[in-house]
Amino acid sequence: FISAHRRVSPPSLSSRLSAEKEENPEPKDRSSSSCAAEESEKPLPPPARSQLNPRSMVLLQPDPFLNELTSMFEHSTEKGSVWVTLKRSSLKSKVQRNKMKTAGEPLDYRCLIRATNGKKTISTSVGAKDHQKFQASYATILKAHMTALKKRERKDKKKAADATTNKKDGESSKNKKPKKV
Amino acid sequence: MVYITSWDEFVERSVQLFRADPNSTRYAMKYRHSEGKLVLKVTDNIQCLKFKTDQTQDAKKMEKLNNIFFTLMARGPDADISEVTGKEQMETQATKRGRGRKQ
Repeated sequence: FISAHRRVSPPSLSSRLSAEKEENPEPKDRSSSSCAAEESEKPLPPPARSQLNPRSMVLLQPDPFLNELTSMFEHSTEKGSVWVTLKRSSLKSKVQRNKMKTAGEPLDYRCLIRATNGKKTISTSVGAKDHQKFQASYATILKAHMTALKKRERKDKKKAADATTNKKDGESSKNKKPKKV
Repeated sequence: MVYITSWDEFVERSVQLFRADPNSTRYAMKYRHSEGKLVLKVTDNIQCLKFKTDQTQDAKKMEKLNNIFFTLMARGPDADISEVTGKEQMETQATKRGRGRKQ
């Protein structure tokens, strides 16, 4: 099952990503997208209305993404999971990539981060310059929410210590037995 | 699905896998609060490495691995992650530079 890809960025932000997307007219996205087959089966809504299709992927800026990720964690404490996937990507279609190759332009790669709670998927991408700031915030969010994991119990160490002392006692008694016999 | 029991082995093999094919390798994490379980997966769609845990200490280790992958993916597979791990260093780059000058 391939979820439909509809990349959306707020028009007010003037990041490089949104600029690239504005350059891409719809038809190119449809033909080059890997989900072209699936998209042709469904009636094609305009790319801006990703909210109509709850399964579509929403591409956000790093900070809104982190906010959404936080709320995903908060809403999935009773049941449900949170998946986060990291992948290197240039965020360009194959057509664009080939064009850039032939033109001799170096492809810039970014780190694509996706998060889902099984129902909603959000994503963002960070480049070489902003990845450190993002990873710090990301780490903070994870630390704050992954609280259900077990802490290392010192009882285990105590039990191990007791077990070794018991073993020693057992060995000494075992040694005694054959001697007696 | 290969579940790896040693954390260090998981990290080493994951980084190797990524460096071998940086464009198809992805790193996924699944957290279930209801079960208190964390599962990590690194795959290039041919091989798959997984690690699961319920320990907080592993979450701290995962943080470092996250940093490694962020650096590798954002900057490129040849990125120097010595600042992150303290163990990985791009010696190959150093030798490349040295080859021309060693006489």
